[in-house]
Amino acid sequence: MMRKSKGRQKVEMVKMPNESNLQVTFSKRRSGLFKKASELCTLCGADVAIVVFSPGKKVFSFGHPCVESVVDRFLTRNPPPTSGTMQLIVAHRNAGVRDLNMQLTQVLNQLEAKKKRGEELTKMRKASIRQCWWQAPIEELNQPQLEHLKVSLEELKKNVAKQAGKLLIQSSAPPQ
Amino acid sequence: MTRRKVKLCYITDDSTRKTCFKKRKKGLLKKVCELSTLCGIDACAIIYSHYNNQPDVWPSHHGVQRIVSQFQRMPEMEQSKRMMDQDSFLKQRIMKSNDQLIKQRRDNREKEMTEVMFQMLVGRSLQPFDMIDLNDVGWTIEQYLKDIYKYQSTNNRMAMVAGSSSSSTAVELLAPTPPQPPAPTPLPDHGVMRNGGESSQAVASSSGGLDLMEKQPWFMNLMSPRASFCGDDMMLPLGDTCHTPLWLNNFHP
Repeated sequence: MMRKSKGRQKVEMVKMPNESNLQVTFSKRRSGLFKKASELCTLCGADVAIVVFSPGKKVFSFGHPCVESVVDRFLTRNPPPTSGTMQLIVAHRNAGVRDLNMQLTQVLNQLEAKKKRGEELTKMRKASIRQCWWQAPIEELNQPQLEHLKVSLEELKKNVAKQAGKLLIQSSAPPQ
Repeated sequence: MTRRKVKLCYITDDSTRKTCFKKRKKGLLKKVCELSTLCGIDACAIIYSHYNNQPDVWPSHHGVQRIVSQFQRMPEMEQSKRMMDQDSFLKQRIMKSNDQLIKQRRDNREKEMTEVMFQMLVGRSLQPFDMIDLNDVGWTIEQYLKDIYKYQSTNNRMAMVAGSSSSSTAVELLAPTPPQPPAPTPLPDHGVMRNGGESSQAVASSSGGLDLMEKQPWFMNLMSPRASFCGDDMMLPLGDTCHTPLWLNNFHP
């Protein structure tokens, strides 16, 4: 199968041989890992801590409610505090997270819609090329066609500029 | 494998949530393992849930202790520099997605303006335009022309180097100095974002109330073959295209 990247292809579970690929993989997968952890916390109300060392020996971590509290809980084997104050804090924090998730969802939905629109537009142009040769990519036009298109565009540009000028004059309306 | 989009909020149904937790926990631990193996690095995960007093961990209790100690031995600043919680992580995601959204909007706008430009070429676009739309179309036309000039000049350079017999035509078609940008209106920064341009005809719709009558003379001008097209030595082999719009009829006596 012809593919641009190795997504949705099987990857062998051994240390990657190519150094730069390894860097890129680390970056992408670390990001994806944190995303999955974040979703687990949101969807299922889990508390999580993830600690990851980069190839360059830097340390990345993600935690909910925070890395320290989960790590401490693990090390001391103490159950989490459940005082009244603690519950308030937790509730407040969760409300904030809820808001952020809603914001994120909104943006992601908009992004998806715009992407679809973009694909639609590309498809439309491709379809028009059969009937409108001038919509084909510049590289596919022969010299006379290209010249013709160029001249027509130059003319159109003048007209647009003229029209814009008219609008400008109009909008700086004459005094009453 | 389900590819349904999941809502980013707490699952209220108990059994659904439990199933989801089991699946995702398994997946998460697998991903940590893969990251560690593929990149040859140390990583660990600790997961607490309401379903178990003991945490689910990877690679093992002992392994987590080792890695966590390594982590805690690092200077405070190094630990916190790349430390995130839900709050900071989600904010970062929102910012990134927002940037992608802005870029996508801009790309779409360019595509729409190109479509408008092509429509204008055949005198088909009759939607009222306001200043912003006009400016954007003007900008798009300029960019398109720039691409043509660039393409033509590289082509001509190649033709001249090759010393082909079409060299005379090449000289004729040498890119002229680009015409002056339209004087009266400064083209705005291309980041102008409009939400109106999503009709199915892909023509920018304007929010300004423009006098449509004002438009008529301009389009009449465009559609009349008085335009100063290039000389008679131009052959236009239109080939198989059966649709020849108005302005091309110049070349078919």
